[in-house]
Amino acid sequence: MIHADQAGGGAPFVLAIASGKGGTGKTLVATNAAALAAATGLRVVLADCDVEAPNDHLFLRCARESASPVSVPVAEVDPSACSACGRCRDACAYGAVRILGASAIVFDELCKGCGLCVEVCPEHAVLEAPRRVGEVVSGPVEGHPGLSLVTGRLDVGQVKSPSIIRSVRAAAAALAGDLVVLDAPPGVACSAVAAVRGSDLLLLVTEPTVFGLHDLELSLRLGRDLDLPMAVVLNREGTGEADIEGLCRSWGVPIVARIPFDRRIAQVYARGDLVADALPELAQVLTELLELLPGISRREVMSL
Amino acid sequence: MKSVVVASGKGGTGKTTITAAFAHLAARRLRVTVADADVEASNLSLALHVRDLSCVEFPGGSKGAIDEDVCTGCGLCVRVCRFGAITRGPSGVYRVDPFACEGCGRCAFECPVGAAVMTPTIAGEACEGESVTGPAAFGQLGPGEDLSGKLVTEVRRLAVDAAERHHSDVLFIDGPPGIGCPLIAAVASTDLLVAVAEPTVSGAHDLERLADLAARLRLPMRVVLNKADLSEDGAVRVRRLCESRGLALLAEVPFEPTLAVLLETLAEGTEGIPVERASGLSEVAKAWAAIERELGLGERAQELLVRS
Repeated sequence: MIHADQAGGGAPFVLAIASGKGGTGKTLVATNAAALAAATGLRVVLADCDVEAPNDHLFLRCARESASPVSVPVAEVDPSACSACGRCRDACAYGAVRILGASAIVFDELCKGCGLCVEVCPEHAVLEAPRRVGEVVSGPVEGHPGLSLVTGRLDVGQVKSPSIIRSVRAAAAALAGDLVVLDAPPGVACSAVAAVRGSDLLLLVTEPTVFGLHDLELSLRLGRDLDLPMAVVLNREGTGEADIEGLCRSWGVPIVARIPFDRRIAQVYARGDLVADALPELAQVLTELLELLPGISRREVMSL
Repeated sequence: MKSVVVASGKGGTGKTTITAAFAHLAARRLRVTVADADVEASNLSLALHVRDLSCVEFPGGSKGAIDEDVCTGCGLCVRVCRFGAITRGPSGVYRVDPFACEGCGRCAFECPVGAAVMTPTIAGEACEGESVTGPAAFGQLGPGEDLSGKLVTEVRRLAVDAAERHHSDVLFIDGPPGIGCPLIAAVASTDLLVAVAEPTVSGAHDLERLADLAARLRLPMRVVLNKADLSEDGAVRVRRLCESRGLALLAEVPFEPTLAVLLETLAEGTEGIPVERASGLSEVAKAWAAIERELGLGERAQELLVRS
């Protein structure tokens, strides 16, 4: 089991739960593992980094929530000062600036807020202003002493998921727990990277289908590129024949938990209840997994 | 040509399986092209056995790099980088973390000695091929890349071109999970959004966020409830949401026998599954019949039949 003193310098153990394919059971593992860890007396922060489809709050409800908006800097042109010289347009790597008539204009959703256009403008006509893209909500979880939930939520119609994920992780780190559980978004692109980079262990949840196998390999590549210790949870065992064991063996990544397909899990989950409360078998599997964590992480780090 | 995007908000609800089932059903009467817009975890080509692939590299933006021999260690690049991508190593050498670099070029612009340079990258690849239901396009983004929206747009372009060359009647796009940049790119100028929901609290929650996005984009959206028999509570939740939001629920597809297994049999070319009779597929067929009617594709199918 993880202890506060094991992580060294009081830094929490950061467990990232991810998968290439969506719907493999990240949220199931994250919510139940976080609740079980808190029940052992650890201070646990669950951070929902799936900001386009955040669901942890449906299973763990917060008593007192506080919300803070997430804003990103976006360039803005003062048309009265702009000479339409086009330097900002030429400098912008994202094609976010165009010249329309006598002035440059910035397309908000393409701007990444790097500030280069501000730098190159000879007329000082480009300014930066914050734009809201979503929010971070956090609070203690009802009925689970020691457990806090931090949820990121992308505003509908916005596109800057990674900015919100970074804010979620900053908020989770500020809560100073013994264990931070990161529930990552599906995929292997910038959002997934923002959610898992720098974690102590990347726990990949998969299912034994051809899709699960294909997407697990993509996640393993991402974890390798990010230099993260990795382990696999095989969920819905029995629903397919794909050779997850073979893939994990060839990558030297251990399968640390197996969750059989069970209609009862699906039914409890569907209601929005914690499966570990209803099914002692699942609680047992996840408790054993939690006990393994620091060991796996250290072993892999040393073998790198 | 009509285009239909299959999306879900939540991942793993069965988008790919439903898209593949639609393609099989439609291909019996119409000319079909398919595209996989989930470029982070592209699976439609596995479901529809795409072959005769031709792939081209998809260029990424540039990323910063620092020439150690030229760098004087002034640290200006660290201060101007908005993405925290530049760090000073133990030996005083500065380096750019490619996973954090957003490629803006500010370090290269500001470096007084020209040590920071921008180098082009490959973000992934875009592929075309032939599936069991007709032409197919898909893409795969490299790990950690940030251009999924742009690659989705490219896959969409490849698919539309292929569909035009083959005079397709309908283009099916298997959408990415979520409601962010990749999905918004996938639904550009589409005729209909079909949301695949699952009977869980999270399925309902994410369906609602997808409905909000569709409303904002003024995109007509219909719903298919997948794995409907896994939870009656969850199914009720999705039905109520559809009712309260005025979303047409086209079909309720049962979990067992799994649709994926039936589709695998179809993709292998084994004749003899009477599609409408196989449990699961009959519900998808009901949804497809409604979509076909709504998009006026039934008449098109009649025309093709008469001509042949």
